[in-house]
Amino acid sequence: MLELVDITRSFRVGPGTMPILRGVTLRLEAGQLVSIMGGSGSGKSTLMNIIGLLDKPTGGEYRIDGQDVLQAEARALSRLRNRLIGFVFQSFFLLPRLNAWRNVALPLQYRGLPEAEAKRRAIAMLGRVGLADRVEHMPAMLSGGQKQRVAIARALVGEPAVVLADEPTGALDPKVSQEIMALFLALKRELNVLILIITHDPGVAAQCERRLLLAEGTIAEQPPC
Amino acid sequence: MLSRVVVEAAANLVASRQRSALALLGILIGAAAVIAMLNIGAIARNETVRQFRQLGTDVLTLRVDAPSGLGSFRLADVEAVPQEIPAVLDIAPFVLGGATLLHEGMTGMGTQLGVTASFASVARLRLREGRFISAHDRFELYIVLGAGLAQQLSAPYAPVRVGSQLRQGRYVFTVIGILEPVLQSPMMPVDVDGTAFVSIANMRRLMPDPQLSMAVARIHPEADPGAVMAALQRSFAPKLRDATLSLQSAKQLLAGMQGQMQLFTLLLGTVGGIALVLGGVGVMNIMLVSVAERKREIGVRLAIGAAPGDIRLLFLAEAVILSLAGGALGVLLGLGGAYAFAGASGWQYIFSPSAAPLGAGVSVAVGIFFGFYPAVMAARLDPIEALRSE
Ligand SMILES: Nc1ncnc2c1ncn2[C@@H]1O[C@H](COP(=O)(O)OP(=O)(O)OP(=O)(O)O)[C@@H](O)[C@H]1O
Ligand SMILES: [Mg+2]
Repeated sequence: MLELVDITRSFRVGPGTMPILRGVTLRLEAGQLVSIMGGSGSGKSTLMNIIGLLDKPTGGEYRIDGQDVLQAEARALSRLRNRLIGFVFQSFFLLPRLNAWRNVALPLQYRGLPEAEAKRRAIAMLGRVGLADRVEHMPAMLSGGQKQRVAIARALVGEPAVVLADEPTGALDPKVSQEIMALFLALKRELNVLILIITHDPGVAAQCERRLLLAEGTIAEQPPC
Repeated sequence: MLSRVVVEAAANLVASRQRSALALLGILIGAAAVIAMLNIGAIARNETVRQFRQLGTDVLTLRVDAPSGLGSFRLADVEAVPQEIPAVLDIAPFVLGGATLLHEGMTGMGTQLGVTASFASVARLRLREGRFISAHDRFELYIVLGAGLAQQLSAPYAPVRVGSQLRQGRYVFTVIGILEPVLQSPMMPVDVDGTAFVSIANMRRLMPDPQLSMAVARIHPEADPGAVMAALQRSFAPKLRDATLSLQSAKQLLAGMQGQMQLFTLLLGTVGGIALVLGGVGVMNIMLVSVAERKREIGVRLAIGAAPGDIRLLFLAEAVILSLAGGALGVLLGLGGAYAFAGASGWQYIFSPSAAPLGAGVSVAVGIFFGFYPAVMAARLDPIEALRSE
């Protein structure tokens, strides 16, 4: 369970500061598929970076499963990211020199898991996203949709509390987007994981059980479809 | 985990192999230069010691120079030296000339020394066969040959041996001894191997005006060559009139040569060191390019949970692998270069066993030193910025 209380974030611009998040308060439960929409520049990625422990808010409180995660120092922060967060990016961001299973195994490798165990889990997760026959493929040999599946497997392999997906379907055609959304739905049910999707696509948002709108630096709940 | 880091670092180096090869080349040249210089230094030191081994270092040479060319000792003055200066154990004066010898249709050209019987012991000559000139038969037409000259005069069907007859000018000499081969000593004015030895009396027959202008002296091993040389100057000053006595001590010559050699090695080692530093700068440059190019990868790794230390280790591993590979090849090249140098200069090659660990150690140190800054830069990247970068 993620708890954000009155999160603010402002950036220094020249002599002044520019508030982007003006007090975001949110409770997100495990096993939910949640979408965040909002205009360009509204602060969606900023919020995502804070939730993903890549950035610190200017003010407010943030707890994951009751643990205050804003006090952590760099080393501890890396460990928290490794255990609690999975990232899915718009352009996949697979490491080009590692094959599919090595990309997926990366979070486990940084966790210090023995290679054989990491490989076993990575291959199992690739099977779950439908790529059992692509485990040895290099990223360059995969289609866009397949790359995103590998990225989703990488985000989920460490059994995180939350998967953060910043426009995960933005680089895919509608049919493949639909497949990816179906995969998210299946996985969150299967793994009881919280999946947070930033999107510009109302069709994508419509498939989420919670829809949030970020505007004017605050979050507004939208009615379910 | 570490082995995984090494594999990934190596894979990254292979992926940008042209760049890696260039950086490697810099380290290779530097390490090769350092190792070659150290090895050549050791070879040269060994060579000097070897050159002095036969003659020993407890030796002085004396030469008289008159204002109009070579001067001359009086034999009696020279032979009195050991009584006068106890530190001088033995002394052998000699006349220097040239010889053209004939034997069974073969011609041999070499230097000729007119010597006393003590020359063999003072100059530590060893005979392969026969005996040396002695005081009793100094008026006989006897000759002793250096190994090279004996070889030169030997016909395939008639080798020169003890008892062979050699013609020199109007005289026919009988060979009474042949020397063992020796290295030329920097102390001796002649190459003993190519020299024919006769008595001083015979030298007077062969030359119109032989000058007894040189001598070799063996001094007490514990004696200070400087003090002995000063005593010799004092003793000879009244006897030589306007001629001057030049003295050279093997110990001092050896020390001088070794000093020079050390300076030379140091100089070239410094050049190698500079090359190595330049190689290191090349590694740093390439690592910085690599970090800039792989910002997004660094961002992904940080987002996934890599600690800054993991990123640092990854890039440091690349720098170290690069310089270690360059260093290893450099050690091989350096040793090969030293081997070729020894071969070309006719010196004895000696292997420096410290070269490999030294080369490896130095290149790892260079890799860590010059790889550290780029690795720290990589580890300090802000993950958000790194992810945003193309
Ligand atoms: N490091 C920064 N320094 C200054 N301003 C920043 C910084 N990061 C983000 N901003 C500003 O914050 C605002 C929100 O940026 P953000 O990337 O969160 O938008 P977004 O909602 O994700 O937009 P998009 O849908 O286009 O991705 C933008 O106006 C941006 O210029
Ligand atoms: Mg954004």
